[in-house]
Amino acid sequence: MRRFLVIDLDRCTGCRNCELACSVRNTSTFNPRRARIQVLRDEERNLIVPVVCLQCEHPMCREVCPVGAIVEGPAGVLTVTESCIGCGICVTACMYGGIVLDPATRRAVKCDLCGGDPVCVKTCEYGAITLVDADKSGLLARSEASQRAMRTVGIIVEDSQ
Amino acid sequence: MTFPYKGYAGRYLDVDLTTGRVRIEEMKKDWALLYLGGTGIAARVLWDETGPDTDPLGPENVLVVGTGPLTGVMFSPSGRMMFASKSPLTGIWAESHSGGFFGPEMKYAGFDMLVVRGRSPKPVYLLLRDGEVELRDATHLWGRETNVTTKMIREELRDPSVETAVIGPAGENRVLYACVIVDMYRAAGRTGLGAVMGSKNLKAIAATGSLPIEAHDMDRYLEANEEEMAKLRDPLWTDSLASLRKYGTTDLVAIINEIGRLPTKNHWTGYYEHADDIGPEVIAERYRIAQEACHGCTIGCKYIYRVREGRFRSGPAGGPEYETLMAFGSNCLNNDIESILYMGQRCDHLGMDTISCGKTIGFAMELWEKGLLDKSKTDGLDLSWGNVDSMVELVEKIARREGIGDLLANGTRKAAEAIGGDAWMYAVHCKGLEASGQDPRAHQSVGLTYATNVRGADHLRSLSSLEELGYPEIVIQRFGEEKADKILEIMSPEYKGELIWDIENLYAVVDSAVICKYGTMWPPVYYFDTFANVIPPLTGMSEWADVRFVKRVGERIAHLRRAYNHRLGITRKDETLPRRLLKEPMPTGPAKGGLPDLDYMLDEYYEYRGCDKVTGLPRREKLEELDLDFVARDLGERGMLAS
Repeated sequence: MRRFLVIDLDRCTGCRNCELACSVRNTSTFNPRRARIQVLRDEERNLIVPVVCLQCEHPMCREVCPVGAIVEGPAGVLTVTESCIGCGICVTACMYGGIVLDPATRRAVKCDLCGGDPVCVKTCEYGAITLVDADKSGLLARSEASQRAMRTVGIIVEDSQ
Repeated sequence: MTFPYKGYAGRYLDVDLTTGRVRIEEMKKDWALLYLGGTGIAARVLWDETGPDTDPLGPENVLVVGTGPLTGVMFSPSGRMMFASKSPLTGIWAESHSGGFFGPEMKYAGFDMLVVRGRSPKPVYLLLRDGEVELRDATHLWGRETNVTTKMIREELRDPSVETAVIGPAGENRVLYACVIVDMYRAAGRTGLGAVMGSKNLKAIAATGSLPIEAHDMDRYLEANEEEMAKLRDPLWTDSLASLRKYGTTDLVAIINEIGRLPTKNHWTGYYEHADDIGPEVIAERYRIAQEACHGCTIGCKYIYRVREGRFRSGPAGGPEYETLMAFGSNCLNNDIESILYMGQRCDHLGMDTISCGKTIGFAMELWEKGLLDKSKTDGLDLSWGNVDSMVELVEKIARREGIGDLLANGTRKAAEAIGGDAWMYAVHCKGLEASGQDPRAHQSVGLTYATNVRGADHLRSLSSLEELGYPEIVIQRFGEEKADKILEIMSPEYKGELIWDIENLYAVVDSAVICKYGTMWPPVYYFDTFANVIPPLTGMSEWADVRFVKRVGERIAHLRRAYNHRLGITRKDETLPRRLLKEPMPTGPAKGGLPDLDYMLDEYYEYRGCDKVTGLPRREKLEELDLDFVARDLGERGMLAS
């Protein structure tokens, strides 16, 4: 079954250890700006919003990619291949901020669930990130979490469930 | 690059604001190996570049902004960084640390340290971005409060990810205890480093970057990191850590009042009968809305609060720490919690240390009670204990140096000198720094900590929780079974010299790494062996694998900072306590009757430190043993070595 990450905003403290762990796994360095999970902050509005690929059913990033660089990898998880030209259209298309341009390579990067055992889940000492199955309860949890994140940053999303 | 070590950004910045010259330099190998980072390297730089002739607010003073190898590399809790300089408040060694996100961001922007000298002809701010540096005009930011300044910088750079260290109006007006505000509401609070930035016309430092920090052996480092983290996860600490996550340091109001150590009424006593009104439960129930953590921290003691209605209504903001609740609360006999939250926030926005500000106001209130201040000198304000209106007004006046605020902006020592008479008796400070929220009359070793702390009356250079909270196993491990019982007796002066010497050395490494006191001060799980475990795989400095080497670094830094003060004339006569804490027995509360036996503890401390008991000055052999020959030479020429 497909799986994805669900983040509990109430548990997230904004410590950014998920970013650090992700950057270590993917770049062998500490460099949160190159992580595939990003924690957005706005102190004055008390916003701490972790953003990561939702592994959508109808991925806009794949649809808009002009060179077909975003393809299904193992276990149905979309990954960005070498043919990415760094145009950034996928970044514009994904309203959830789930795909970003790596500042070092200028190519798109997105969460690939670490091949099934995500380091961010293991690193989060606050238990804010979980890997769930795409069954009914998983979908509901994802919908709830992402809508809340969107509402927090001022975007209203219609429930597609 | 010839700088061989990993874990560092590898470069530092040397800025002369007078000429606008910016030099990007490679980190020095010896700095890293012998002083690690943070306070250690700052001590070396300030020893070399400042001294008795340096006016703290003159262009010749140097501000060091420093991170360490553990900053931003997932060690928990490590989101910290530090500022150091010669203090305008005390005239001696100054350092102040802050959590948040700016320290790690400085490293991702490419720099481990900044050395800032001179005075800019007009307001500027320093932007560090992906290895590049820019001095930008800050004329439009001058006069703005800290939160507005940060917002404006992010807006003009069109980058919300920019982290900042900024000063507010208090720093611009050179309030002697102005602070540096990091990331909106974290503060490098103490010793007036905001005034140093203000004197240099440096409004802010901003950083953003995506440069990598490498590890010498990443797999081994992550493993070592995990081994250390496991110590924090020991079930022994589960409940207390849960409480720290729920209440943050506000919990200390209750815990410390219980042992009679909560400074109350300008340190008159250590017990506040209305402590519940300003304590953890009230804040958690009524005002707290979220938990937060600094960069890379798995403890997460920070919180966000909001006051929904009333005179002190406020949007979401960083919640005050224990020290702020004490300074504006019990210390001024003020149990109006919303006013304390408000004054804490005003201090953040104005860029002022809440401890020194609250303590100076408490001092003024006592002078009012004793008749040493009256309405003719207070701009008509009634400074009776707990008068919230006057306190709120004073905070603003101090930041703007208006009327009586101009006097109080100089701190208790200088204000007492100016007022004259018996005023000095109520100025509760060591070496010019207002006392933080502890009291040696309820906890012997605090007396030694305050007296010997190189920056003044403050807990953060050597406070021991071992006997305060009672951890027999750890005490036995570190000091042996024979001494354990006496060390664990909170009111016994026995072996406290050794205890504080050891902890001061440990914190010197902690403050150079740079990590938080949580994990070392409390819970006391990280010790010298922690650094021997994580530093070599992170940096490649194999020498650090030897615990004796780590201890020597701690001793070296402690001695270098002490020598910095000796050179300014500081000796045993200055390593003392204010009259109130030394001579007036605790009048009320659980610690009633308590007094510190300072001389006894000092004698033992100097022996361990390798100093002369009469003068407190170091022995030549001790300095040479620590590779501080250059210090021995200098102090020798000045006649400031132990004879």
